[in-house]
Amino acid sequence: MRFVDEFRDGELGRAVAAQILAAVEPGRHYKVMEVCGGHTHSIYRYGIDDLLPENVELVHGPGCPVCVIPMGRVDDGIAIARQPGVIFTCFGDMLRVPGSHGTLLDAKAEGADIRMVYSPLDALRIARAEPHREVVFFAIGFETTAPSTALTLMRARAEGIRNFSCMCNHVTIVPPLRALLESPDLRLDGFIGPGHVSTVVGARPFEFIPADYGRPVVIAGFEPLDVLQAIHMILRQLAEGRCAVENQYTRVVSYEGNVRALQAMAEVFALRPHFEWRGLGFISQSALRLSDAYAELDAERRFPVPGVRVADPKACQCGEVLKGVIKPWECKVFGTACTPDHAIGTCMVSPEGACAAYYNYGRLTRERVSA
Amino acid sequence: MSGCDPHVGCITCGDVGVEMRVLGIEDDLALCETGGGEVRTVEIALVEPVDPGDRVLVHADVALARLP
Repeated sequence: MRFVDEFRDGELGRAVAAQILAAVEPGRHYKVMEVCGGHTHSIYRYGIDDLLPENVELVHGPGCPVCVIPMGRVDDGIAIARQPGVIFTCFGDMLRVPGSHGTLLDAKAEGADIRMVYSPLDALRIARAEPHREVVFFAIGFETTAPSTALTLMRARAEGIRNFSCMCNHVTIVPPLRALLESPDLRLDGFIGPGHVSTVVGARPFEFIPADYGRPVVIAGFEPLDVLQAIHMILRQLAEGRCAVENQYTRVVSYEGNVRALQAMAEVFALRPHFEWRGLGFISQSALRLSDAYAELDAERRFPVPGVRVADPKACQCGEVLKGVIKPWECKVFGTACTPDHAIGTCMVSPEGACAAYYNYGRLTRERVSA
Repeated sequence: MSGCDPHVGCITCGDVGVEMRVLGIEDDLALCETGGGEVRTVEIALVEPVDPGDRVLVHADVALARLP
């Protein structure tokens, strides 16, 4: 298939790996963060890190929306789902994220009408089909997913569908990156930028990373050769002593992004003053709520929610994993008390979470290429 | 394409864009097909105009970009 086969070519992959090996300075340790959970998944699915020199370390970033949802928001969702007459809809991974008293899946087993949907448009279809029930969509995701929610809400309002509402948990990528760059316990040499978020926001929002922090960013696609080439582009920038935003994913990402998507988001959403991220704490202006124009479709205004902050379980070290401070296997409960079937932490819930990626692909010991 | 297969991933968390081919247009929605033959109704407001045969990158049933 076009854009797939040629980006999985083993010969080319080995050639790029050789270029990477030639670009690194022996004795220097490189830490490169892949921001997006999709890249984490690709890296371990295709064994990309096995092709890298020992002194190139990949650090897994916070770009997995399920992984960064705090427990209190899950509790709020469950509280809405238990309201009489509510059909609560959300994406599949979210069903298994633990709140303080169980998951949405547990609430479903106890009788709440909770349904997995593939898109918010599916949730709207349910609302049309069941006009006497209140249909709530639990919206999560970065800027890739937010346009889908925005268009659905615009459609709901245009059609006058009154039994549909949205509990908005959309987050934005730039504020947590800035928080990570400000973090004293993490030194990063460069970033693999999120490919599909950038389809929407463009390459422009990442300019602050080289401008303010002197680090290179390369926006990358998700096939193995995309990721390898992006790593090479970062190392080449470092070798040449420069830093800039470069775009490896030119077949999809433009500098300006999708302007119509950004306009739709600007109409439907407004920035929350602050939002809690699991492991990263409260980050200013890092999440979206429904704008005042769409307040009548806001589930948090329509239904009572506890809104209580809940601390993470003590055994869980998702926060350190999300900041790249520890590797998943260094967590005390990794693979023992915490597995994909019985996750304690969010990073084990989603296949794109760093812990689940390590667990599913057995990345516990590695032999690496010597520089 | 749908669902949350641990080896394929969830569309939300994975920031996944699925390449699809436009089969036909119905009002402001398009019927699109994946390489694997799955057909979905896709919102095309962000990439219009598209024609049957065009290829688009789709996330959560919304086309985010037209592919070359």
